[in-house]
Amino acid sequence: MSQTITIDPVTRLEGHGKITIQLSAQGEVEAAHFHVTQVRGFERFSEGRPFYEMPSLMARICGICPVSHLIASAKACEAIMSVRIPHTAAQLRRMLNLAQMVQSHALSFFYLASPDLLLGMEADPNVRNILGVAAAKPELGRAGVGLRRFGQTIIELLGDKRVHPGWVVPGGVTEPLSPAKRDKILAMIPEAYANVALALGAYKQIAGAFKEEIEVFASFPTNYLSLINEDESIEFTDGTLRLVDSTGSIIEDGITAARFSEAMGEAVEPYSYTKFAYYKPLGYPAGSYRVGPLARLNIVKAMGTPRAEAELAEFKQLAPGLVESSFHYHHARLVEMLYGIEKIEEILADPRILGKHVRATAGVNRLEGAGQAEAPRGTLHHHYKVDDNGKITWANLVIATGQNNNAMNLGVLQAARHYVKNGKFTEGILNRVEAVVRTFDPCLSCSSHAAGQMPLEISLVSADGEVVDRVVRD
Amino acid sequence: MPSELVEPTQSEAKRIDNARCLILACGNTLRSDDGVGPRLAEWAAERFREDPRVRVIARQQYTPDLAEDVAAADSVLFVDASVKSPAGRVRLTPVSSRSSAADQSSHELSPNQLLGLTRSLYGSIKSHAMLLTVGVGSTELGESFSQLVESAFPRARGVLEKAVLRFIAG
Repeated sequence: MSQTITIDPVTRLEGHGKITIQLSAQGEVEAAHFHVTQVRGFERFSEGRPFYEMPSLMARICGICPVSHLIASAKACEAIMSVRIPHTAAQLRRMLNLAQMVQSHALSFFYLASPDLLLGMEADPNVRNILGVAAAKPELGRAGVGLRRFGQTIIELLGDKRVHPGWVVPGGVTEPLSPAKRDKILAMIPEAYANVALALGAYKQIAGAFKEEIEVFASFPTNYLSLINEDESIEFTDGTLRLVDSTGSIIEDGITAARFSEAMGEAVEPYSYTKFAYYKPLGYPAGSYRVGPLARLNIVKAMGTPRAEAELAEFKQLAPGLVESSFHYHHARLVEMLYGIEKIEEILADPRILGKHVRATAGVNRLEGAGQAEAPRGTLHHHYKVDDNGKITWANLVIATGQNNNAMNLGVLQAARHYVKNGKFTEGILNRVEAVVRTFDPCLSCSSHAAGQMPLEISLVSADGEVVDRVVRD
Repeated sequence: MPSELVEPTQSEAKRIDNARCLILACGNTLRSDDGVGPRLAEWAAERFREDPRVRVIARQQYTPDLAEDVAAADSVLFVDASVKSPAGRVRLTPVSSRSSAADQSSHELSPNQLLGLTRSLYGSIKSHAMLLTVGVGSTELGESFSQLVESAFPRARGVLEKAVLRFIAG
């Protein structure tokens, strides 16, 4: 029998998705899928464009993490140009990427996740949103706004625009950092530290109330992938990729952007426009893996900055081996925000950051190039081929959300099986199923490279194919 | 320079604190008449260029981050396109800080939700909060305005100017 469910109308995902829960004749959950229903397009319509346009074109895929696309794309272009960018440019890009990570993680934690975390999964959907958080915990709301401003202001100071800055170009960046801008960024650091400390403290106080969710929110062994430095510290912009198994043992290390397509494949499932990335030697789905904050903190041995180092040590105590529950993505985001602030401060302390040589130039020296970076949501890979005139003949993007796709689907199934019993469910239960996806902070616009409205639909389907219930958020 | 058609920066904090009136426009300049808000914001930035009491921000949509900016102003004039009004109709209506969130999105807020968020976060209550709307005729892809909206600009500018002068006079 159909039920009417009132569900929080907030679309707390970066994208357009749908969850289907399939019930058996006994009313038990048989299958669950997370569908991304947008159509890809960017790879196709970039064909024929000059390669040097690619960073600014590809950045338009996303309004949340355009910087990651800018950087991965610029690096792919630099592989085509066969240039090594100046040290100052590399550090400026690193700072830009970290600033984006801070503002994106702040959006995910404070605006998208905190309504569930601070108000409860069962809270009235009409207050389970950022306005409800602001009313109940204004100090945390202010911290979220402050951390967003911190990241966005740095992006604007460096790139002149808060969203889609054109400052990152093939070969480096268009303009050096001025002392005045450096000082403005440094002036924001103390408040940023205070805000992230407030969030970390609040999160640690409430996390204990979510023991059940921690156990069933995509909590299972998987492989993990992220960039890492040679000294095994965290890296968002350079370094090479490391893939580890569920025990933390290295499966493959030193995966460069040029080697990525040899190592990783993309599978297709009929229910989603987002592909499913996997490690080729293990096949699909055994070679599936997770990326993003949880993967990064599971893989690295060090953060490289003192405050985040202490937080990493605490984070690694959450489980005896690797931290498996995707619920802990939230915690990992906070640790990474702290790291981002520390690292930006460290970068700015080096006088070389004011260097004037910030761009290398060259033409087409190779007909193929690939670049990779860590987006807030995980590893991002851009791969292009060009003709002799530098026009794009082929492009492929492997996005974090595609790399987390299998884990998200398994996580939805795990939570649905745990919470939906005898075909009965409540709004709070469906919210938990949706919250599993939310832990990954997927960007469905990135994953399908599409634009437009971003509703989420949840369907509960009986054994005979009847849609028992359906919730649509416009 | 009172115009901020992009994000404010820290260096502007002092001036932001001094702003008595914030003009907060939104709309998509690539969707024909939906760009009426940013277009009026451009005009307002020029009109009040020398007046430090007026600050202008134009965005594609109202987001929670703007609460800080709203909190720093004494009065707020929201400027937006309206699909509910007949094309070209100019309306000026009061905005309350209703915090109900039945249609709330994490990416986009209505003017009254943004005021409500500002009140919750910063305890800030505005002397004046009004919404200036212009009814749209077309939101198709394009950077030009429909005839009715183009014709409405003089009246919209007049309403905007009068409201701002009233706000900054207290």
